[in-house]
Amino acid sequence: MAKTILIVDDSASLRQIIKITLTGAGYQVIEGENGQDALDKLAGQKVNLVVSDVNMPVMDGITFVTELKKLPLYKFTPVIMLTTESEQEIKEAGKAAGVRAWMVKPFKPAQMLTAVQKLIM
Amino acid sequence: MDLDPVIQTFLIEAKEQLEEMEEKLLSLEQDPGDIEAVNAVFRAAHTIKGSGGMFGFEHLVAFTHEVESVLMRMRKEELAIDQLLISVLLSCSDHIRVLVDCTGADGEKISEQTAQVSQALVDKLSPYSAKGGQAHEQSGQISQQGGSGTPDKSEPGSEQGQPGTVSDNWHISLRFNASVLKNGMDPLSFIRFLATVGDIKSVHTLADKLAAAGEAFDPEDCYLGFEVQLYSRAERKDIEEVFEFVRDDCTLTIIAPHSKTEEYIALINSLADDDAKLGQILLQVGALTPKELESVLQTQMAVPEEEEPVKVGELLPAQGVDKQVVDSALNKQKQSRERQAKAKASESTSMRIDAEKLDSLINLVGELVIAQANSALLAKQSHISNLIDAMASTSNLIESIRDNCLKLRMVPIGQTFSRFQRVVRDISLELDKDIRLTTSGEDTELDKSMVEKLVDPLMHLVRNSMDHGIENSAQRVAAGKPEYGQLALRAYHDSGNIVIEVSDDGQGITKEKVIKKAIENGLIKSSKGMADYDIYRLIFEPGFSTAETISNISGRGVGMDVVKQNIEQLKGSIEIDSRPGLGLTMRIRVPLTLAIIDGFLMEISGSQYVLPLNSVIECLELSESSDIKEITNNLINLRGEVLPIIRLRELFACRDRAPQRQNIIVVRYGNRKGGVVIDRSLGEYQTVIKPLSNIFKGLEWLAGSTILGSGEVAMILDVAGLFKNADLQASGKNTGLY
Repeated sequence: MAKTILIVDDSASLRQIIKITLTGAGYQVIEGENGQDALDKLAGQKVNLVVSDVNMPVMDGITFVTELKKLPLYKFTPVIMLTTESEQEIKEAGKAAGVRAWMVKPFKPAQMLTAVQKLIM
Repeated sequence: MDLDPVIQTFLIEAKEQLEEMEEKLLSLEQDPGDIEAVNAVFRAAHTIKGSGGMFGFEHLVAFTHEVESVLMRMRKEELAIDQLLISVLLSCSDHIRVLVDCTGADGEKISEQTAQVSQALVDKLSPYSAKGGQAHEQSGQISQQGGSGTPDKSEPGSEQGQPGTVSDNWHISLRFNASVLKNGMDPLSFIRFLATVGDIKSVHTLADKLAAAGEAFDPEDCYLGFEVQLYSRAERKDIEEVFEFVRDDCTLTIIAPHSKTEEYIALINSLADDDAKLGQILLQVGALTPKELESVLQTQMAVPEEEEPVKVGELLPAQGVDKQVVDSALNKQKQSRERQAKAKASESTSMRIDAEKLDSLINLVGELVIAQANSALLAKQSHISNLIDAMASTSNLIESIRDNCLKLRMVPIGQTFSRFQRVVRDISLELDKDIRLTTSGEDTELDKSMVEKLVDPLMHLVRNSMDHGIENSAQRVAAGKPEYGQLALRAYHDSGNIVIEVSDDGQGITKEKVIKKAIENGLIKSSKGMADYDIYRLIFEPGFSTAETISNISGRGVGMDVVKQNIEQLKGSIEIDSRPGLGLTMRIRVPLTLAIIDGFLMEISGSQYVLPLNSVIECLELSESSDIKEITNNLINLRGEVLPIIRLRELFACRDRAPQRQNIIVVRYGNRKGGVVIDRSLGEYQTVIKPLSNIFKGLEWLAGSTILGSGEVAMILDVAGLFKNADLQASGKNTGLY
C-alpha cells in the first residue's frame, strides 16, 4: 500500500515540486496551506509522514506539530520541518514539539526524497 | 625532455631530507624513545630512495634501501636504539650525501672507492637488518615500483592478510534512546535506508535492555540496539548522514573497515602542510564527520576548568575513529608544524639565484637611491609642488625596493646553528664529555655572506668552549653542576646589530689565569692598571693560549686572534663575559647588512655627516633646559642621567666659529649611551655605504662614506668608534685626527 505524506507549506509552487517528486517515487500526497488547513484536510486520515514549513500564516509549523502530536493517531508520525536557515530558537521549539528531522531551504527535490526515504523506508 | 631542472630539484630535496635525517638521528641519540624521530628518519630515507629511483640512480637506491630496512625495524621497535646504531646510521646518512653528490643530469657516477664504502657500510648495517632473504625480496619489489613515490605497501599488506576479510566491513553500532519512537523515528527505516549506501552483511540486535526493563516495560519506548556490518565504498560522512535525523535519539559509533584505516593514514600523510587542528585534519580526510567533531569538542569543553584539560586526540577513539588514524593525524600535525617552522628557518622553499645577479641588483638599487636623492633635491629647488609630491611617492617606493632588495640577501641563521648539532656531537664523543647543545633565535636573519663568514669563528668558539670551557663530568659533579655540559648558541637583534652568543656553563676564564699566561708569553709585563675588560681581551692577542694541554680540537692558541680578525672584517665586535666557575659567554656583534642603511644626516662646519639611524635615540638643543642640566666640556646631565658627550667640532678640528645654537644627538652604542654635539641636524637619509680607502683604516670612528643627492661626499660615523676614541683621548693616548 502506498504510503501517504502530508505537505504543509504556504507556497503553492513548493508544494507542487515536492508533490511531483514524491508521487513520482510512489507516495501519495495530501497538501495543506497552513497548519490549520492541514489539520482540517487530515480529518482523522492516517499519514506516514508530515513535511511542514515553519513560517506560515494562520497557524505556524511549530503550533501545527504540537497540535498534531496531541492526537493519538499521529503520536508516532515522523515530521520533517523546513526552515530557511538554521534558526536555533525555532529548532529548540521544534525539538520540544517532537521534531527531529530538519531540512534547510533551498534544497533539491532529490534531497527531499532521500530525507523521506530515511524516515519511512 | 630536459630532466636537468627536475634533477636539480631532486638534489635540493635530497639534501634537505639528509639534513632532516641527520637532525633526527641526533635527537634520537638523546631520546631513543622518540618514535616520531624514527619515522622522520625513515621518511627521509624513503623519499630519497623513491625519487632517486625515478631517475634511475640504482646505486643510491640500493644503498638507501639497506638503510631503510634497518630503519623499518627500528620503526617496528624490533631494534634497540643505541649510540652505536646511531653512529652507523649517521655514517650512512653521510654516505648517502656522497652518493647524492655523485648523481646528476648525466646519471650516476660511482667510483670504485665509493662503492667499497657503500659495501663496508652495508656490512656494518647487516647485524641490524632483517634476514637476508627478506631484504632481497623487498629490493626486488622496490626496483619494480621504481620509486613511484607511493608508500611501500608490502608491509601493511602482509600484516592485513587474514583479518582483512572480517574488517573489510564498516561496523556501525547503534543504541537508540527510549524516546526515539515517540519522536516519530523508526529505527528500522534507517537500517533499511542504510542498505542504499552499501551491502548490509549482518544486523545483530541487542535486546538486553528489553529484558532489564521487566515490569517497567513501556510499549512506546525503544529498547533495542543494533550492531550492523556494512560493506560499502561510501565515505564515513555518507554513512553518518543516513542517521542524520536520529542523531539526537541514538548513540552512533561508526568504525571504519581496516582497509579504510590504511587509506586514512595514507591520506593524512599526503595532506599539504598547514597549521590544522587535529580535528580538521581528520575531517579533511573524512575519518571524522563534522558532527562527530562537534560532539568531541563539546565533551572537551564540558570538562571543568580546574581539571586537567582533555585532549581531542584522547576523545576520538570513543567516536570510533581508529587509534592508528588518530595517531597518524597527530604525527602529521606535529610534522606540519615542525616543517613549517623549519621552512622558515631554512632555504627549503627558496629559489636559487646567482649571487652575482643579486649583488649587481643591489648595486643598482644603491645607485637608484643616490639618483633619487638627486632628483628629490632638484624637485625641491624647483618649487613645483606637483613635482615634489611625485618625487615623494617615488622615494617611498624606492625605499621599499631597497628594503626588499636587502632582504633578498638575508638568510636565517638556523641552518648554520643546526650544523653545530653534529659538530658538538662528534666533538663530545671525541673528548668523552657529555655536552648538549641548545639553540635559540634560529629565525634571526642576517646577510648571507656574513653567515658564511661567521661559521669559522663560531666553530672555533664552540670548540674552545667544549675543550677548555666545559669540565669533565667528574669535575662538574664536584663543582655541583649537572653531569652533562651545556652549550648554547643564541642569536638576536639588538639595535640594528645582530648578536650571536656562544655560551657554556663550564669553568669560565679566570683573570689570574689570563694574566699569568699573558706574562708568560710576554704579552704584558704586569697587569697593573688594567681594567678587567682589557685583561680578558688579552686572549684575543696573537700567540695567547690558556689551555694547559693542547689537543687537536681547539688548536694551538692561534685561534682567538683569528676569530677576532674575522669578526672585525665584518665590522663586528666580540665581547667576553666570563663568570669564573659558572661559565663563559662570547658575544659576537655584527651589523645587519653591509650595503645600505637608514642614516641620520647632520652638519658640522658646513660639511655633512651621517650617523646610523638605529643608534640615534633623540635630538635636543644643547642648552641648559628642563631636560639638560650641567653642561661641561665632555659630560651632560640629561634628566638625571650623566652622559659622556663628544664635540665633533673639536674632534674634526673645525676652525670656524660654532653657531650660536648647537644640537646634541643622544646615541646608543652597545649597552651604553652618549651624546654627540653637532651644528645642525638635517634628518633621516637613506645611506648607500661606499667603502673607504685604506688611508682611513686607522680611524675607527669612520664607518664609511656615502654620496649625497647633491653629489657631495658625506662621511658615515661609527658611534662605538667615536666613543672608544674619546676614551683613548681621555686616557692620554691620543689617536685623534692630528
